[in-house]
Amino acid sequence: MNTFRIGIAVLILGAAALAFAGSATKPSKPASVSSMDSPNESDQQWMIEGEKRYRANCARCHQPPHKFPPRTMATAVRHMRVRAMLTEDDVKYLLYYMTH
Amino acid sequence: MPVYKPLTRDLLELGIMGDIDLGELVFRHVLIGLLCLAASCWAQPEAGVSPVSIQSEVKPAPVLSGGLAFVPTWDGGNPTLVSIVSPVLLVPLGDNLLVESRAAFEGDFQRRNGNSGDFTGAIQKSLDYMELDYLANRYITITGGRFLTPFNIFNERLYPNWIRNTQTDPLIFPIGTGSDNGVMVRGGIAADTNLTLNYAVYFSTLSNADHFESERHVGARAGVFLPRERIEVGMSVQHQLQDAHLSRYGFHLQWQPARIPLDLRAEGAYSRAEGNGLWIEGAYRLRNAPSSVLRRTQLVGRAQIFDSGSVPGINASLPSTSMQRAEWGVNYYLNDGWKALASYGRTFAATGNSNIWTIGMTYRFVLSLGREP
Repeated sequence: MNTFRIGIAVLILGAAALAFAGSATKPSKPASVSSMDSPNESDQQWMIEGEKRYRANCARCHQPPHKFPPRTMATAVRHMRVRAMLTEDDVKYLLYYMTH
Repeated sequence: MPVYKPLTRDLLELGIMGDIDLGELVFRHVLIGLLCLAASCWAQPEAGVSPVSIQSEVKPAPVLSGGLAFVPTWDGGNPTLVSIVSPVLLVPLGDNLLVESRAAFEGDFQRRNGNSGDFTGAIQKSLDYMELDYLANRYITITGGRFLTPFNIFNERLYPNWIRNTQTDPLIFPIGTGSDNGVMVRGGIAADTNLTLNYAVYFSTLSNADHFESERHVGARAGVFLPRERIEVGMSVQHQLQDAHLSRYGFHLQWQPARIPLDLRAEGAYSRAEGNGLWIEGAYRLRNAPSSVLRRTQLVGRAQIFDSGSVPGINASLPSTSMQRAEWGVNYYLNDGWKALASYGRTFAATGNSNIWTIGMTYRFVLSLGREP
């Protein structure tokens, strides 16, 4: 009986998650980095924010890795989004920082 | 004079919650809390910055990564040549899917007669995880397949030899960890610019298939991360839905002070039948040293305690008796991939004290299987 109740609780949670996944708006359509005020300034802001998130998140578990080629890095940050439960914004900033 | 009674006791007396033990009660409360968390995400957009995406500009490529380790260990005077090859395959599919898998080939070669004779032993093969991740939206990732059990953090984040600061497994590691076959919902949520929540809820099924062994579990882990202070705290619960129906509880802490190159990590685990314990580890990288050799050096210390539970032997992977262990070590980072290490530890137990030494090398590799621009 207890097992059944726990199962029901998990099913409710799963259903809520799936419903949420289906109804949530998708992230806004990507814009170009150059569309921000000043390309140089925005690049610098992205690098600063990227480095900040890199130090806060990546170094939590392992020594800072060197930079990999862009497509490899894109896969690595997707992997880390799942494994280390990074936020979507963390992933964007990290990918920018690690590929520039 | 009124006598204070917790609400849960009232509910029990009213028969609303039936005959359940305290552990299960806590477990249910955590599940309800996570449900509320998921519901709150529904209503609230993420605070803070809204960066533009560059992901569409970079198409992720399949990657073969992993680690190699050769870490001879002398435990109580008996040497074991620990050799591990652990490849990780990452295959991104489209914008929202990732297939990831890790296998491990480990040879623990020991002398035939304890500390004399030839080294012998078999190569153990295991499939640590083989999962499909669906990034449903910015808050939720749905995982199906065989995954690392998200109980505390060592199993998921710190297990690979090239990552861990101390090479021996924590004494409490066998409590609640391993691999599970089932489904999991997880994610990270930036609740504020300086507050990130993360969660994982999972259900796994029983499997006795070779290399796909799994227990029937339901469990959850939740954590709070403060990026500015670089502190993460969290807790885990797991309920076994078979055999002894054990309930397991865990907590974890990670702290990296911004001003000094120190990694502080700690975990605790409790299971009434199996036992309980905790470990705390500090690793100090000599980044500010004048010599480049010293700047590559990291000093490590770890203290552990384990108390056996009410049913000794119910988990054969745990120590058979209560014990404490203290370890000190040095890691030397030759470059990004290679690490040399050495450590000494002392185990204190009623059955006798013993020394544990390790010395070795680890290597991490990353190979792109796609064409890079």
